[in-house]
Amino acid sequence: MTRRSRKIKTGIVITILAVLLLAAMFFSLFLGSVFISPDELWESEILWQIRLPRVILAALVGLMLSISGVILQGILRNPLADPYILGISAGGAVGAAISIAIGSHFLVLWVGSVPVTAFIFALLAVFIVYELSKAAGKTSSETLILAGVALSAFCAAILALIIIMTGSLQSIYFWLLGSLSSANWNNIFTVLPAAAIGGGVAYFYSKELNALLLGEEMATTLGVDVENTRLILIGVASLMTAAAVSVSGLIGFVGLIIPHWIRLIVGPNHRVLVPVTALSGMLFMVLADTFARTILSPMEIPIGIIMALVGAPFFLYLLRRRRLSGE
Amino acid sequence: MTVLKVENLSCGYLPEKPIVKNMSFSVDEGDFVGIVGPNGSGKTTLLRAIIGLLAIQKGEVLVSNQRIDHLEPREVARRIAFVPQMMEPVAGFSVEELILLGRTPYFGRFFFETEKDYNAVDWALSELKIEKLKDRPVTKLSGGEFQRVAIARAIAQEPRVLLLDEPTTHLDLRFQVRICKLLWKLRKHRAVVATFHDLNLAARHCSRLMLIKKGELIAEGEPNKVLTPENIWKAYRIKATVRKNPSTKRAKYVLLP
Repeated sequence: MTRRSRKIKTGIVITILAVLLLAAMFFSLFLGSVFISPDELWESEILWQIRLPRVILAALVGLMLSISGVILQGILRNPLADPYILGISAGGAVGAAISIAIGSHFLVLWVGSVPVTAFIFALLAVFIVYELSKAAGKTSSETLILAGVALSAFCAAILALIIIMTGSLQSIYFWLLGSLSSANWNNIFTVLPAAAIGGGVAYFYSKELNALLLGEEMATTLGVDVENTRLILIGVASLMTAAAVSVSGLIGFVGLIIPHWIRLIVGPNHRVLVPVTALSGMLFMVLADTFARTILSPMEIPIGIIMALVGAPFFLYLLRRRRLSGE
Repeated sequence: MTVLKVENLSCGYLPEKPIVKNMSFSVDEGDFVGIVGPNGSGKTTLLRAIIGLLAIQKGEVLVSNQRIDHLEPREVARRIAFVPQMMEPVAGFSVEELILLGRTPYFGRFFFETEKDYNAVDWALSELKIEKLKDRPVTKLSGGEFQRVAIARAIAQEPRVLLLDEPTTHLDLRFQVRICKLLWKLRKHRAVVATFHDLNLAARHCSRLMLIKKGELIAEGEPNKVLTPENIWKAYRIKATVRKNPSTKRAKYVLLP
């Protein structure tokens, strides 16, 4: 494919995804257990205070998790990397569990206590993992991943202890499954900065992420400050993931599979990969959440279940097709 | 004109155990220097210190009269390019996209590739005579083709010094010769420094040889002066005799029984 046709193809893909995303968000507003008639459109509480925030939050969470996945797969150079690999999910879960178990419903700042403690513990976990993996001012991918796994195991034990000691299994379990049902405008404005900063940094670091495709040493010989890049990118990926976890619990799958999906389709160039993954993550999340809240309406299915049920087989199909075509 | 100068360089992985010891040499523009020596003699370590992958313990490395440890990483990358022994082909990239990575040190934070970068890529493709491979996936290249793509990526960096770690080791005879001829051509307007295991190949194509053993330079100069039975014995403890190729006048060793 020539330069020109590659650029045109990227433009077309991005336009189509953007249109699909807007369409999905629009139609999602009118789907749900309560029918909204055109007459009451402007006064509808459900539309403006429940569904619209929920659709927007779904898109933001999809964006943050999928871009975090791209970043972490890129800098750790490991296909199993996802936003949760450095202990963020485990830390966030402990934070949320503590808050749920104590049962404090005070407001910290302008959001509830669960998001705030989840956010703090999530970032704390990554910080511990990063600091423990550092030797002589440098980190290595393997140490980071192993430290993340070890800390996650430790946090899982603490989580189990909290559940056993307080008997709050059900509420903690539902938080763990992930849901966007707590969406409101406050949540949106709280996570918006993280999404904006994270998305921007990921895009403008695509040069570094591309150089890292050749390995850390080759990236160094191309003038990339690998350690500095790693610190900044882990920082923003953690910020985004912690923000997503704090408002929606542990939604799996998006951050692992969407980046792989898109890489199989558009290739590994992060200049294209980052924006296309972001749009796809948003689109997929909005669709999955719409299904989650409507398919067994008025009951709500956890969104993670929908995503894994639909996405995993399709991903396996793509993977298989690519293996067969030998690329 | 001297483009690369190494002065009293010591480097290694442990401070108390330098692998390259107190080495000094300089490389001029238009030189094609072959570094030869036994396994573990410090050839790769030397290259890694010059490119900045390994901290310098003592001494200095200068490119175009500037110390590399005083330059920003991307300034170093604009002056020295490195082709490793084995580069990973990035699945999903075309040859052109891979070579474009060589322009990384020229990209700004908020602006990406320009016409100038694409011109550099086209120029690298034509220097290596691989224009036809431009749109091929890098995972579908033969070893010889991929090595030329790897060198094109380094050339796209527009370096003053091109360093290559054993560029011919994994190639068949035909590509060994082709790569050496290409490097001979590429040495113009810059300097090429490469490590070799094949003494005869290096002696046949390089303008100068450096023979190192245990991190020290034991012979240096024109290939015919370096490739002598005495030096081969000193470096490898192998008995050999040296003959001259009648048409190239270059020395080649023949093992003694």
